[in-house]
Amino acid sequence: MTAVSQSAKKKIKAGSFSLNRFGTGTQSVFHLVLAAFSLMCIIPFIFVIIIAFSSEESIRQIGYSFAPLSWSTQAFTYTFQLGNALWRSYFNSFLITAVGTLLSVSITVLYAYPLFRRDFRFRNFFNFLSFFTMIFGGGLVPTFVICKSVLGLSDNYAALIVPMLFSPFNVIIMRTFLQTTVPTELIEAATIDGSGEYSTLLRIVLPVVKPGIATIALLVSLAYWNEWFLSLLYLNKNMEIMPLQYLLMRMQRNADFLAKNSSMLGADAAKAAAQLPSQSLKMALVVFIVVPIACAYPFFQRYVVAGLTIGSVKG
Amino acid sequence: MKKFLSLILTLALILSVCSFAAADDLPTITIMFHGSNVSDDSAVLEKVNEYIADKVGAKLEVIWGTWGDFDEKAVNALTSGDKDVDIVFTCSWSSDEYNSYAKKGYFLKLDDLIEQYGADLKAAIPESLMQAATIEGAEGKGVYAVNGFKDTATQNTWDVNVTLLTELGYTVDDLMAKGFFGWDEIFAKAKEVKGDSFYPFLVEPMVAERMVTNSIIVAGDAGSTNLLSLYLNPEDVSADGIYGNKLVNKFGTPEYKAFAEQMHKYYEAGYIDPALSVGETSNDCRTNHQKDASYLIGTQSYAFGYEYSADVLARGAEIKFVPCTDPYVDTTASQGAMMAINSASEHPEEAFKFLALLNSDPTLMTLMNYGVEGIHYTLNDEGLVVFNDEARATYSPWTNGVGNVTILPDTAAEGKGFRKSFQEYYAGAKGIPSLGFVFDNSPVENEMAALGNVAAQYALALDCGAVDPETELPSFLAALDAAGMEAYLNEANAQLEAYLAK
Repeated sequence: MTAVSQSAKKKIKAGSFSLNRFGTGTQSVFHLVLAAFSLMCIIPFIFVIIIAFSSEESIRQIGYSFAPLSWSTQAFTYTFQLGNALWRSYFNSFLITAVGTLLSVSITVLYAYPLFRRDFRFRNFFNFLSFFTMIFGGGLVPTFVICKSVLGLSDNYAALIVPMLFSPFNVIIMRTFLQTTVPTELIEAATIDGSGEYSTLLRIVLPVVKPGIATIALLVSLAYWNEWFLSLLYLNKNMEIMPLQYLLMRMQRNADFLAKNSSMLGADAAKAAAQLPSQSLKMALVVFIVVPIACAYPFFQRYVVAGLTIGSVKG
Repeated sequence: MKKFLSLILTLALILSVCSFAAADDLPTITIMFHGSNVSDDSAVLEKVNEYIADKVGAKLEVIWGTWGDFDEKAVNALTSGDKDVDIVFTCSWSSDEYNSYAKKGYFLKLDDLIEQYGADLKAAIPESLMQAATIEGAEGKGVYAVNGFKDTATQNTWDVNVTLLTELGYTVDDLMAKGFFGWDEIFAKAKEVKGDSFYPFLVEPMVAERMVTNSIIVAGDAGSTNLLSLYLNPEDVSADGIYGNKLVNKFGTPEYKAFAEQMHKYYEAGYIDPALSVGETSNDCRTNHQKDASYLIGTQSYAFGYEYSADVLARGAEIKFVPCTDPYVDTTASQGAMMAINSASEHPEEAFKFLALLNSDPTLMTLMNYGVEGIHYTLNDEGLVVFNDEARATYSPWTNGVGNVTILPDTAAEGKGFRKSFQEYYAGAKGIPSLGFVFDNSPVENEMAALGNVAAQYALALDCGAVDPETELPSFLAALDAAGMEAYLNEANAQLEAYLAK
């Protein structure tokens, strides 16, 4: 029994003192640090919105600024004029993300479940198989050859979905989540009651691991939504299925290339640079791209917090 | 029921196979262009395929690579042996660099095909261009790509805002008489008249340096920050320059020191926009000022007829491009836009026939470059091309990257007789003494990377005058020496000597 001072006893009685709570000073410091960090995360996005609504003249004269000389909705009206191309790209992004997330989550769960079941004979082999691919990769050219020539992933939606379907990292998260949330007794009880394997998985285990699935779904949908490199590699002739992210990246890469190589290209570079889309248009596209995923996040949020603490408290 | 169904399915299968066999027996050739801005090519390809069906015996499909994604696409297609890409753009400055990829065997040697099918092609482009494309490749010395006859000579010019200049009371001749080192007075006057936030000197720092010191880029040198220089003789470009035919570290020459000091003076006096000295903002800043002609003197790497292009005319002031030297043919320019045939291609003959036709037949070249008459452009009374802006916005290939531009019809903006003058201008350009030399940097790859990093740190700021050369130049030179400049120079000079001895 530790000695407790008189003043401490008084505080405990008054209810304002807790041995586990931080003092007011420390609390304010923590609040300040976290507020600063949150601001650092939010301010760039606010900046993007401001630039999207700045007029082109303002950007030309004073560059990017929190207080532009004049405001205009030029960029957004221009995007609406772009018409079908833009909405098609937007639709493509949604389609690829939705289908990709659905397929990827299914594959991940179906792969992780047997790995979690201790009575699966080839557990070690499949564990090693997925883990190995996380460490070693073939590189860009072999992947490209396999995808294009062997799997026929070229100029179609499959090319933008299939390469990212399986992620060993997600499998490990899922498996760990299963291990910590689903007691083996549950499976045994289900088997005794006459449930088949699929029935056990779908009716008993899945409802329990909803947080895990939501975490994986969020990670995967974020990955699909932000992906543009696959479009660069595999979309050559069929530009109808190009997602919005690739459209934006193309504009950015064009600008970068011209800036870097202007001395080699001479007058052509100047001509091309003059035709590039405006800065505010690029920012308007960024707004288009960020808004859906930012809106989706709150739905997943409560699951992610649960998912992040996987395995931190046993039992 | 099941038997009936299976019968139907089998019939369907057989029919589908038959229909595939009957249709389209023309092979497809695919060409990959650079720098395109094309969203709708259906009308053009329809006409093109109609035209080439019997002449070439193939159907054309196009991959419209843009500035930013061509490099990646081309490298992937070539290194993975993708037989779906038959013809690919190449040059001395793209990632699928002509000389190195020919050595690695990715490009087909075209000499035999030229003998067989290339008579028209040889007639359409000058001998010197064929010569420039003749290099040492995987199958020996020969031509590994069809060279595009475009602005094949380099010429750097001062981009002068004549409207403003006359307002200040000077003429272009005054300007040139004073020279780069004597423009203080004129800049000061410009700032007086236009106000303090006006920056009269709109330089592209790297180009300005080359214009003042008369140095040339060496093909094969470190990407965007060139370390080596050959010095040009400004009076006669085909004669030797002040350092003869030796490659020197341009940052160590007295010419560079004088240039950097002068730029620093101009920068300190407020004649140069600070945004030009920072890599990320430099290009945007320059383009923005050019758009509304808010400058007095700028630099421009020139192509004949540039003053008639849409963006210059839109600047709202009279612009004159005043050359520093005669145009000179160097390796970068003479290998500036070529079309190579992928060695993994399954239809090399059809591919070559297409290239030969494209570069010699005005109808095909006009179709590919300008589009379809009536849809993308119309011909006015003088027979000059007038573009339909809306349609053109959906179909804008990079004109100079398609091939022989001298067989294109004149546009209304360029005026009658333009292409003829263009051809004469470039056919008459002299070559520098070391034309055709490409530096093979593989023995000194590490040094090049290290030197490139050092240069990226210092070069732009020094060239723009943003830092004081008194203090920065010595540390820059020391850093270059530490990163292996001497080894790099020695290797380059050894290669150059060997090349010139041949």
